[in-house]
Amino acid sequence: MTTEAISRPLAAARPRLRRKTAEGVGINSAAGHLVMVLLSLFCLFPVYWMVVTSLRPANAIFETSLWPSSISLDNYAYALNAIPIVRMLINTFIVSIVVTVIQLFTGLLAAYAFARWRFRFDKLVYTAVALTWLVPFQVVMIPNYLLVAQMGLLDSVVALILPHFASALAILLLAQSMRGFPKEVLEAARMDGARSWRILWEVMTPNLRGTIASLAILIFISTWNEYFWPLLLSRTAENSVVQIGIQMFMTSEGNAWGPLMAASTMASLPILIIYIVLQRQVVQSFMKSGIR
Amino acid sequence: MAQLSVSRLDAAPVRRRRSGNWRISPWLYLAPAIVTLVVWIYWPLVDALRLSFYQWNMLPSSPQTYVGLDNYVRIFSLPKFWQALRNTAVYVLGLLPLAVLIPLAIAIYTHDLPARSRNIYRAIIFVPMIIAPVVAAAVWRWLLDPGYGMVNAGITWLGFDPVKFLTDPKVAIWTVIVITGWKLIGFSTLILSAANANINPSLIEAARMDGASKWEIIRDVRLPLLSSSILFLVMMTILLGAQWSFTYINVLTGGGPLGATTNIYYLLWDFGFSSMSVGWGSASAVILFIGFGAVAFVLFHFIDRFSFHDN
Repeated sequence: MTTEAISRPLAAARPRLRRKTAEGVGINSAAGHLVMVLLSLFCLFPVYWMVVTSLRPANAIFETSLWPSSISLDNYAYALNAIPIVRMLINTFIVSIVVTVIQLFTGLLAAYAFARWRFRFDKLVYTAVALTWLVPFQVVMIPNYLLVAQMGLLDSVVALILPHFASALAILLLAQSMRGFPKEVLEAARMDGARSWRILWEVMTPNLRGTIASLAILIFISTWNEYFWPLLLSRTAENSVVQIGIQMFMTSEGNAWGPLMAASTMASLPILIIYIVLQRQVVQSFMKSGIR
Repeated sequence: MAQLSVSRLDAAPVRRRRSGNWRISPWLYLAPAIVTLVVWIYWPLVDALRLSFYQWNMLPSSPQTYVGLDNYVRIFSLPKFWQALRNTAVYVLGLLPLAVLIPLAIAIYTHDLPARSRNIYRAIIFVPMIIAPVVAAAVWRWLLDPGYGMVNAGITWLGFDPVKFLTDPKVAIWTVIVITGWKLIGFSTLILSAANANINPSLIEAARMDGASKWEIIRDVRLPLLSSSILFLVMMTILLGAQWSFTYINVLTGGGPLGATTNIYYLLWDFGFSSMSVGWGSASAVILFIGFGAVAFVLFHFIDRFSFHDN
């Protein structure tokens, strides 16, 4: 639903040559730049301030200079000592990677079923998948929590992964792009005697690389940033993810701003690196598939 | 193709048996996804409905007592519930300007910028979207600190009294709204800019030839053509806006001061996990789900009727 609504305006987001009209290029575009610069400042300054604060020496935390007068890594050392942040980063990394791989896998399987066959209740199942989007997590959190408790998995990394084995986002997005796949190619593969399993992995999947890549980015980032579910389950820092680490840190030493900003920077670094390297793809994948 | 047409003609039992071989395949492919969604979403939904008629404190050892509609009656008589509902409306209404109106104005206003600088702005204004909500909360808490934060430093420098952004009951909810909006504003701007850049320039040109003023072009050409993107963002904001703020409420205000920032999602969390009352939590979950579904239904209906496409 999300995807359908948004892909319409955005499918054609590629730049298109626009004729410059005589009026309104000069002064207007200066004002346009001003607006965009202000918006950019609003968006980027907090992130910049986080990094700058984290690099200030302890006695200079409250300085308001835009550039730290001297750079120190003490805050990082402090944060590393106060919470097991490395362990938590590793946990977060494991959870994000595993969730991404599994969700892509189950998504490809399910999408393939919708794209290739027409079967009884196919529309109904498709709708049921799409409608999961309408169930706020807060509504199902108590039964989910009880289920995890019953399995004895509270405070474990495994429980963080389980509910994310499949997502409507992955299924619907992949089903959409599979539908656009030329039927003739599939037919030809079938004539060659390829079984459905092989068609999926040897014909479909390689051709969907673009969609799969942007989905992977999207799933990875949103899993990395997830807060609510880990918050429900976590008891000890060692078994949790880095977002919870920051929350715990804030509760225990809320006003140690330098180390807090250092921990926040460490928690954001992997995502920021991905963003810097793959900026175009990241923006596109978010825009193609809506807000998560 | 052949298989598709066969499967449509499944009236004859003989055919059905013969095609049964591959009729089971789609279900095998779907199984992992269906199992996950049923176990973690659909079954819990049913279970929440059942638990909403019980009183229970989540301990396996203590009994679940059937109380009928008591939980619902109690919730509806709680001032806290109505306050949270009102706050939810404030969240949604407060977010609309940040997530839709301002981005729309910016997108239309800056459509003339050259592609190169637009790409740079695009890269920058998207950053908040990928920052983790907890990190955003930590950074904003630092920026808004009444004693040493950058924002209050600026305010006192201008000669005003420092603002207690997170502890003043009148201000706190707006603080959370602006932080939530900070995450979204760049993203919305990009969506609307992309849609705006996609408008066929000959339409604008034609309107200009007809002597339409700049404002008329915006009102009569651009806005109708942007309507599906606008409606999409409005819908997202209405349905998800209050949910997005959960992390900030949880980390920054804890629902306070005096419940001033508690919205319905936070109240659910509070019922379920602070007061450990499964019945109340589930009953409010059911109320929320029905309300959410109704709003979504109306909105989808609305979008079908009012969105407008060229070709």
